[in-house]
Amino acid sequence: MLLIHCPHCREDREEEEFSYGGEAHIVRPLAPESLTDEAWGDYLFFRKNPRGIHHEMWYHGTGCRRYFYATRNTLTYAILETYCVGEKPLVSASIVSTAL
Amino acid sequence: MSHKIALETPLMHAYGQFSHQQYRANSEVTRGELGFCVVIKELPLCSQLNIRGDAACQNFTSGIQQVLGIELPTEPGCWHFSAEHSLYWLGPDEWLLVSQGPSPDLEAKLRAALSGHISLVDVAGGQSILNLRGAAPALAILLKKSSVYDFGGWSDAVDGRGRCAQTTFAKASAVVANRPDGSFDLVVRRSLADYIGRWILDAGREFGCRIEG
Amino acid sequence: MTKTSQINRLSAHVCASARTDTSVIINFTYNGRALQGVAGDTLASALLANGVNVVGRSFKYGRPRGIVGHGAEEPNAIMQIGSGAATVPNLKATQVELYEGLESASVNGWPSVDFDLMSIAGWFSRLMPPGFYYKTFMYPAKLWMTYEHFIRKAAGLGRSPVEEDPDCYDKLNQHADVLVIGAGPAGLMAALEAAYAGARVIIVDEQAEFGGSLLASTQRIDGQTAAAWVDDTVAQLRTFSNLQMLPRSTAFGYYDHNFVGILERRSDHLGLCASAGSRQRMHRVRAKRVVLATGAFERPLVFSHNDIPGVMQASSVSTYVNRYGVAPGNQMLLFTCNDSAYQTALDWHRSGRTVVAIVDSRSTPNGEIMAAVAEQGIEVMLGHAVIEARGSKRVKSALVAPINAQGSRLVGAVTRIACDLIACSGGWSPAIHLSSHTGAKPQWDAAIVGFRPGSSLQQERSAGSCRGTYRLSDCLTEGADVGAQAAQLAGFGDAKRLFALPHIEEYGEHPQQALFLVPHTKRSSRAPSQFVDMQLDVTAGSIAIAVAEGFDSIEHVKRYTALGFGTDQGKLGNINGMAILAAALDQDIANVGTTIFRPAYTPTTFGAIAGRDIGGLFDPERHTAAHHWHVRQGAVFEDVGQWKRPWYFPRSTASGSVETIRAAVDRECLAVRNSVGILDASTLGKIDIQGPDAAEFVTRMYTNSYLKLAAGKCRYGVMLKEDGMIFDDGVCACLGDNHYLMFTTTGGAAGVLAWLELWQQTEWPELQVYFTSVTDHWSTATISGPNARRVLAKVCDDIDLDKNAFGFMDWRDCTVAGVGARVFRISFTGELSYEINVPAHYGRHVWETLMAAGEEFDITPYGTESMHVLRAEKGFIIVGQDTDGSMTPADMNMDWVVGRNKVFSFIGKRSLYRSDALRADRKQLVGLKTLRRSEILPEGAQIVFDPQQSIPMSMQGHVTSSYYSANLGHSIALAVIKGGLSRMGQVVHCPLADGRTLAAEIVSSVFYDPKGVRQHVA
Repeated sequence: MLLIHCPHCREDREEEEFSYGGEAHIVRPLAPESLTDEAWGDYLFFRKNPRGIHHEMWYHGTGCRRYFYATRNTLTYAILETYCVGEKPLVSASIVSTAL
Repeated sequence: MSHKIALETPLMHAYGQFSHQQYRANSEVTRGELGFCVVIKELPLCSQLNIRGDAACQNFTSGIQQVLGIELPTEPGCWHFSAEHSLYWLGPDEWLLVSQGPSPDLEAKLRAALSGHISLVDVAGGQSILNLRGAAPALAILLKKSSVYDFGGWSDAVDGRGRCAQTTFAKASAVVANRPDGSFDLVVRRSLADYIGRWILDAGREFGCRIEG
Repeated sequence: MTKTSQINRLSAHVCASARTDTSVIINFTYNGRALQGVAGDTLASALLANGVNVVGRSFKYGRPRGIVGHGAEEPNAIMQIGSGAATVPNLKATQVELYEGLESASVNGWPSVDFDLMSIAGWFSRLMPPGFYYKTFMYPAKLWMTYEHFIRKAAGLGRSPVEEDPDCYDKLNQHADVLVIGAGPAGLMAALEAAYAGARVIIVDEQAEFGGSLLASTQRIDGQTAAAWVDDTVAQLRTFSNLQMLPRSTAFGYYDHNFVGILERRSDHLGLCASAGSRQRMHRVRAKRVVLATGAFERPLVFSHNDIPGVMQASSVSTYVNRYGVAPGNQMLLFTCNDSAYQTALDWHRSGRTVVAIVDSRSTPNGEIMAAVAEQGIEVMLGHAVIEARGSKRVKSALVAPINAQGSRLVGAVTRIACDLIACSGGWSPAIHLSSHTGAKPQWDAAIVGFRPGSSLQQERSAGSCRGTYRLSDCLTEGADVGAQAAQLAGFGDAKRLFALPHIEEYGEHPQQALFLVPHTKRSSRAPSQFVDMQLDVTAGSIAIAVAEGFDSIEHVKRYTALGFGTDQGKLGNINGMAILAAALDQDIANVGTTIFRPAYTPTTFGAIAGRDIGGLFDPERHTAAHHWHVRQGAVFEDVGQWKRPWYFPRSTASGSVETIRAAVDRECLAVRNSVGILDASTLGKIDIQGPDAAEFVTRMYTNSYLKLAAGKCRYGVMLKEDGMIFDDGVCACLGDNHYLMFTTTGGAAGVLAWLELWQQTEWPELQVYFTSVTDHWSTATISGPNARRVLAKVCDDIDLDKNAFGFMDWRDCTVAGVGARVFRISFTGELSYEINVPAHYGRHVWETLMAAGEEFDITPYGTESMHVLRAEKGFIIVGQDTDGSMTPADMNMDWVVGRNKVFSFIGKRSLYRSDALRADRKQLVGLKTLRRSEILPEGAQIVFDPQQSIPMSMQGHVTSSYYSANLGHSIALAVIKGGLSRMGQVVHCPLADGRTLAAEIVSSVFYDPKGVRQHVA
């Protein structure tokens, strides 16, 4: 049971108010028709599965109904930051690995 | 063609229902002899509008204030109220307006006062407001049984403003707000009102609990 | 008072420190025997007071076992409490508070604990090596059920009640700044400091009384007894309004982000009565900081036949004497490898019973307590060990021999010493279980001969003996410091201690010896059994055998021997087991490592986990505005998502019986096609969409275009996921400029709203559009059938209902039954239909008005089953029934709904051109007509082309919907079949599990009114 800080409600809320939205920052191709099956398949089906720092989407469904992003350590489940759509993460895998 | 129009509030069927520690289905105890520490009162039908708009837009916030006479709460988790209107913060661009009594032209007034990208939706039929009052520990424990939210972390409501949160309630959800008199209002979905009423009666059995209209 | 049965009860003047009240007698039964205890007893202390030696039989060998400990660590005294519906299996007698009328029984021992058939198996114990069950009962698999039955009966795991649980349970979501787990010396100080700093504090302890080890301590604190200090401190805690005390509450699991599960036993100590309050309450605590002050367990000593009743933990003997006023024996021999257990000799001596001798494995200890013991004239045998206990149902003597300084072998002759109680102490093991739950890896510390909690992965700190801090004064200091720091880290105070620490008289201690396995004259595999895990009969010899068989990891040895797998989770046995394994592998304990403890710390009842979410509250029920009308009509309901929808409305027949579902559905379907029916369609999802980019946005989400849809018009659309597969469908209406109303399926409503929000918020924030759920706002009555217009005309007179003025796929604002309504001329039955939407407060009124208006047409309420049949007759799909997340619009023969020329590449469009989506052999939606008209294909039946082929057959598709159509007079089915659209007229076969094979012809999926004229009737 995670405790998640909603950047819109500006409070720590229980995990059961949220649903997981998968990997963050995947941009939809602007011209899908121009892509090969393989390139479109990469967009559709392939996701990162990092051991460590992961940027992911969460939906505060039983709350403010906003999507937002979280940087989470998949090893420890520690959530290092949450941030709004349009913002950039302050923590990334490269920052963390150099800090270690 | 004339019709006698019967209105039904969501929880109407449950008015008068109660739960009590001492009460058993076949016992001789009648309701009048029992004490109730928690009371759920369904508030009368009122108009309810879901409002969407840009809180950073001066025109939007001042338009709301001008029509309703109260300031739009832009601080997360707050609600503002006057005798006539209540405005609940639901999200960064979403509010619930609850107004006492029928006010059929309110939506039109707001639309006239607001410009730009906004949304006003009548949701009066879709939700009900339940006021939950009771003795201090009983009410706090009932809320702890029902929701994962930390209502104990709230400051007390004062005249004109209080705290509110959309969160889980039993296995459903509700908007919960505190009032200056120490009671709490729950805004619940109409279809779930029966479930939530039954849940509160069950959870409040140890204190004695009843539903009023 | 009468003390007829309580032969081991000490009189109050002998034992002034006891927390029991001998003036209050409590009657209870044990295996049917009437016994007496006193107020303040646990079942264990009462049994010991009555001189009960044997409380169970061992799991594997059926050996008699007695009470060993005094708390959660107890491996043997496992009891069935109560009888009937409220009976509870597998409680530890050491944790059951005695109450008047308590019924208890041993869970193992068959047919009885005093004559156990299984003990015969004990004679053959060499035939039951580790892995015995795996090796013996593995094959043949079919016989496992038989073996398991036998094993369970013999092993005795207690009886779960089969009756409904009469008790109430509930859950409380709690929030704390500082949660203190354990109310012993460290925990009490931590709570005191944190509360004083102003933090919201919760302090929990599994016992009825706070105080932990102090309740049984004879140490003096600030000149008063330890118990008096506890009383004062608890009284002080009680003055804080920001502090909550939870006695009888076990923190059983420590989960992510400082979430701790705590089970509070609220009425178990009062008896097994179903109370209106809750019997047990689960506290789900989210804490900013956690202080673990969970104490330590004394470690047993492993020697031959150390399981005979009368071999006990030294600290437990002290606890029974000092706290409960019970002396469990007469002639005590104390066996220790450390100083702390010497106190037990002093306690026993003071109780007036005999200390035969102290056997200390160390050759030259010189701790200060030795002088105190010498003062009492107690004999001490240094450099000796108890190598074997003798006796059958009670210890009669001990074999003692001198051992070398390493404790690894005997160096002299064996002598036999008569005694009836052997109190043992192998040192202490910190209770690191909760720390382990966080993922912290325990660290071996040779200085304390135990595992300390590993570096913390959560916001927690350990304090006191669970951290290996054993001196009382150090525990108090550490508790106070950690409490103050926790408060400060949660935002309260400055982390400085505020309370003066009490003065304590303590003995200087001599270091303990690490003694995990006491040598015998024979080696372990030959010596009489040296028990490591009493509950599961794991011996030192069986660990040696496991190593000999090639197991070298603690996790594997654990599973192979079952070490630590009992309900006590190896609280006593694990460390010795690991140390013995390390020795057998010739490695350091630090290298072998410990196993990771997992939740739950002690067994937790399912009732408390379920809480109030049972029966009618198991899942939320959503009701429509007309629900209570449906109930009164005797509707049978179906769950659709969380909604209760009328499935069908059975009528009572003339003979008084109730219609079958088939009869009701036939009648309802005929009524719709021949006159008029009414359906409660309120459950359909409805989303209000507003904004300048609403049309563009909606057009991106659906396969077809809404850019040119005029106000007053509706359109049916299909929504795809980005992979091109159908995800939801429904009608979308243009309400006005930049304003739309989207209908979704009943089950898909929340998912579609989240889907719209996802795209708008994260991908196209530049599109100005807002979504608001109005599902609950509108109540929808659908009237359908050739007489639908006539019914509506009776209750709506402010719009022109002519079929041309109010055409198919139009909607109008109007007044129905005096209520402002929005009426849609859309149809899911293929008949003339009106979906009448009114604000839900009027739903029941409008429904009843329509029923009254339709009376002359015999208006018939119909449920979801008839709705399914009627739409299937028309070949209309139901998303989720005819589709399964792998169907494209083309698969559903619905290419007409795909706007391939839309400018924007709508969601899922590109996927429709993936090579996989264009395969010729994709499963396609077709109709099926059974060759025998009355046969109904089962939904889900697999379809083959050639029923004569050998098994496994080549499956070509499956039936998705199947019904009897009363309107057509034969069965109908929808199916998806590979290349089905090009196989019209072919006969396929459905081989069924019952051996029949049904044949059916592939036909068009539209069975009824293929030209669609009926929805336009005049």
